[in-house]
Amino acid sequence: MKMSLIVRTTTKLVSPFLVTYSTYLMIYGHLSPGGGFQAGVILAVSIILLITSHGYKKVRKAFKFWEVQLIEGVSGVFLVSLGIISLLFGGFFFNFLRGGPFGSLLSGGIVPLFNIGVALKVGAAFTFMFYILLRWVERD
Amino acid sequence: MIPLLVASPLLFAFIISLLPALGKEKLSKYLFLIGAFSPWLFISSIVQKLPLGEVVGGWERISGIEVMVDSYSLPFLVAELLLFTFVAVYVYGDYYPKKSENKVYGILLLLHSGLLGAFISRDLFNYYIYMEIASVSSFALVAISKEKGAKKAAFRYALFSLLASYIFILAIGIIYLKTGYLNLFLIKENLVFSKEINVALVLAFSSLILKSGVFPLHFWLPDAHSKADAPISALLSGLVVKAPAYGMILLILTFPISTLMQNILIITAFLSMFFGIAMALIQKNSERLLAYHTVSQMGYVLLGIGLLNPLAAAYYAMAHSLFKGGLFLSVGTIAEHYGTRDLEKLSYRHNKFLMVAIALLSLAIGGISPFIGAFGKFMLVKEIDGLLKYVFYAGGIGTLTSFIKLNYYLLKRGEKVPFPFKKEVVSLSVGLLTLITGIYFYPHLQLVRDLSFIFIGFVLFYILKKLGLFEFQLSPFFPDTGSKLGREINVYMLFLGAFLLFILFNSIH
Repeated sequence: MKMSLIVRTTTKLVSPFLVTYSTYLMIYGHLSPGGGFQAGVILAVSIILLITSHGYKKVRKAFKFWEVQLIEGVSGVFLVSLGIISLLFGGFFFNFLRGGPFGSLLSGGIVPLFNIGVALKVGAAFTFMFYILLRWVERD
Repeated sequence: MIPLLVASPLLFAFIISLLPALGKEKLSKYLFLIGAFSPWLFISSIVQKLPLGEVVGGWERISGIEVMVDSYSLPFLVAELLLFTFVAVYVYGDYYPKKSENKVYGILLLLHSGLLGAFISRDLFNYYIYMEIASVSSFALVAISKEKGAKKAAFRYALFSLLASYIFILAIGIIYLKTGYLNLFLIKENLVFSKEINVALVLAFSSLILKSGVFPLHFWLPDAHSKADAPISALLSGLVVKAPAYGMILLILTFPISTLMQNILIITAFLSMFFGIAMALIQKNSERLLAYHTVSQMGYVLLGIGLLNPLAAAYYAMAHSLFKGGLFLSVGTIAEHYGTRDLEKLSYRHNKFLMVAIALLSLAIGGISPFIGAFGKFMLVKEIDGLLKYVFYAGGIGTLTSFIKLNYYLLKRGEKVPFPFKKEVVSLSVGLLTLITGIYFYPHLQLVRDLSFIFIGFVLFYILKKLGLFEFQLSPFFPDTGSKLGREINVYMLFLGAFLLFILFNSIH
């Protein structure tokens, strides 16, 4: 299903900004409102917008099914192994990278890393779910 | 150390979900086996230092998530690990076709870590999250079955289970609002009892009763548990319904329970016991019979909770997960290889392994010493006296009668069907395990009592057979056609609403 030229152009313009915004949210999640889940949802929305305007088949060529699956799995493994690695430093999910002055990016330690993992996991999972649901619709 | 129990199966679940993208699906069965067995590595060192608790990440108690293994959660954990190990051996290899193998293994490991996570948590929200991981995986596992009507059963299960979860999280919200904490120790320290807390407790108990499939709210259970594949049914009946029971144990350990609430729980428990047995006696379908016994046995667990005896409830839950898991595995094996679940066509006559296994497990579920069932009943009956004690024993005799019926049908001659050796060994070892754990926990023989119970059971079976009860066919309340599903769900929703309002109105003033 292809929408009109205006919609397609607008979504193409908006999508990169959404990705930027989502990146900001995942990196600065521990300092400002936001965090992993929200960033991930916005990341997924940027792709879902493209799917609604350009159609499933065209988007699937750019963001392949197995790539989405790979990102989802890798971020899941990353999250759990982050917890297991911190066990070497004193406890499950112990914050072993603490550093930097209060309020700076580095003061978060493993929290930004965790947020990035969650964001990629959520974004990939939402996209994946849309792909699977659309595979049954197959309208376009 | 404790979080690793949960983290290791979760890690392997994620790695398995990664494999199709890399094109290495062949590895998934090995990874599944490693993931399923990995918690054993950590449990042995945890058991030596009981009770052992920690706050994840080294945070303070207020801001962190507390996990703990103590005498209340240990029976659940041990039962989970034992039964899941047997089920993992059972499904390992070629149980599922190559196409769906990867997904099933991933979901099974998620279920494993969800259950372990629920059983170690001492934080209401964390408990809720892990219980949900376990339930969502079990919806998917029910829907995977090839049995007719499995999809619909899974849908109904998902609908009611999620509804109960929403009610439960509302209750958690109210508790958080009134106390300011989710950690159970902090809640207990800072609790000021009020009407709002009472409402929250009623909501939490009703939703957990629905999720554990106790009588007035059991409607989703027989379908979901009987339509699933044999190993999945074993997990559902043995373990997934225990997670809500553990939640109720956490609640009674934390909050003061009023006498009225206690009475409601005890009455519900007894109703559930006898309803489950009565329905099981008239079932023709082998798996449905076992599923109705789950309704009945969850009544025993709820009885322990209603008597404010969490240890008895925990040990009964452990006993039930062992013998019911074993029964589903062994009877399910027979049903699967005969290609039918009709009791009249099944037979274990040609197979000594399964015959011994089912006989042992039937004695265990009937509470015959020295099996584990006797230990569970001994723990429960200590607190009961007077007339209720006889009612309690009558429940045991009813269970025995129902299992005499099951064995009677299975003893009939049938055609000879070969069973795979692995499935026989798994079934038999669960049967022997109920005997060994029973001797370990409660090495007493009560020959006179048990033999008289079995005798009464036989007499009752004979009378019921003469009366023609086993020929009796109960017409389903809702025909199994698609168009009536909406009405059926509405009726059951009304049930839930009526139950909830009944307890609310009774316990508020």
